Amino acid sequence: MGEGVITRAPHTISSLGLGSCVAVILYDTQQRIGGMAHIMLPDSGSLNGSQPSYKCADTAIVTLIQGLLDRGAARRYLVAKIAGGARMFANYGKLDNGIGAQNIMTIKRIMKAERIRLIGQDTGGHHGRSIQFHLDSGKVLVTAIGKQTKEI
Amino acid sequence: MNNEKFVSEEQLDFLREMMNVGAGNAVTALSQMLQREVNMDIPAVRILPAPQVSPILDNPSLPVTCVRMGMVGDATGDLFFIVPDEHKASLIHLVQQATPGPKDTGTAGGRSIITEIGNIVAGVYMRAIHDFCKLNIYHTLPALKIDMLQSLLDGSIAAMSHQAQIAFIIENVFVVEEHRIRTFFLILPPASSVQRLVDSMGQAKMALA
Repeated sequence: MGEGVITRAPHTISSLGLGSCVAVILYDTQQRIGGMAHIMLPDSGSLNGSQPSYKCADTAIVTLIQGLLDRGAARRYLVAKIAGGARMFANYGKLDNGIGAQNIMTIKRIMKAERIRLIGQDTGGHHGRSIQFHLDSGKVLVTAIGKQTKEI
Repeated sequence: MNNEKFVSEEQLDFLREMMNVGAGNAVTALSQMLQREVNMDIPAVRILPAPQVSPILDNPSLPVTCVRMGMVGDATGDLFFIVPDEHKASLIHLVQQATPGPKDTGTAGGRSIITEIGNIVAGVYMRAIHDFCKLNIYHTLPALKIDMLQSLLDGSIAAMSHQAQIAFIIENVFVVEEHRIRTFFLILPPASSVQRLVDSMGQAKMALA
């Protein structure tokens, strides 16, 4: 949770059991280099002290973009996919304040500002997700309990 | 798996003692509910960083049945009663055997049984903490969900993550005839409440000495 990884084809990056957290995947379709951030919260401004940069959407996405550019990715070939952001306990009242939905909203706003195309997503709902990001093809597989595997 | 980072060995002993008493009460409650003898292994009590909880399961990608409640009062936090899928059926079966009259053998019946047991388990542990630490704490209404453990916890962990956060984990194995039913009870308090719990434990320990 709150971590990020950058790697190249032919590796695979996976994340198990996303609930309200969101996996943000960026991929350079030409160089086949990509990365994933496991984002927990929308905004680092609400937190005290220094935080890991991948934890919150506002710092995570720029960190991921910069990390990719540093390793030779080109901004114009970057595409994004996102998965997660569920509300696991639908009727839990005020204790579950819809962090998942806030995460998704913030991530989309930042993608727009950074001019990165969002080409695939599987978000929201009330179930957990596990994802596998295959860097050789750029495919992202989303699995959930009792549901068919989905490719985004 | 390093407990000492968060509390002293002495405090951990006290915590274990407190949770043992809670578990003993859980056995009594469960045996009344099942109308047969219930035994248990000594509960395993662990303290882990909250994001590292899901490896307590043999296979974190399998579903668990989870009852979530809130802890309110002098200390706050989220409570989770967890039954791994492979232990769910025998628990539901045992309760239904002990219940006279027509049974709801469908999914809804099973869900309400696990919810009720979660409610009871939370109640006995809250009472143990209350009795030992002299804290007034209660648990709120339960909500049940079946999914991967990590996905069920990450919202709570994120919501409290402005401070370093730990989880108290109590693993109970209830033994009923040939069944061994493994369950977990998790307490996820924000850091301010961890401090309050640990302080109260320290004071209670001194009062006993």
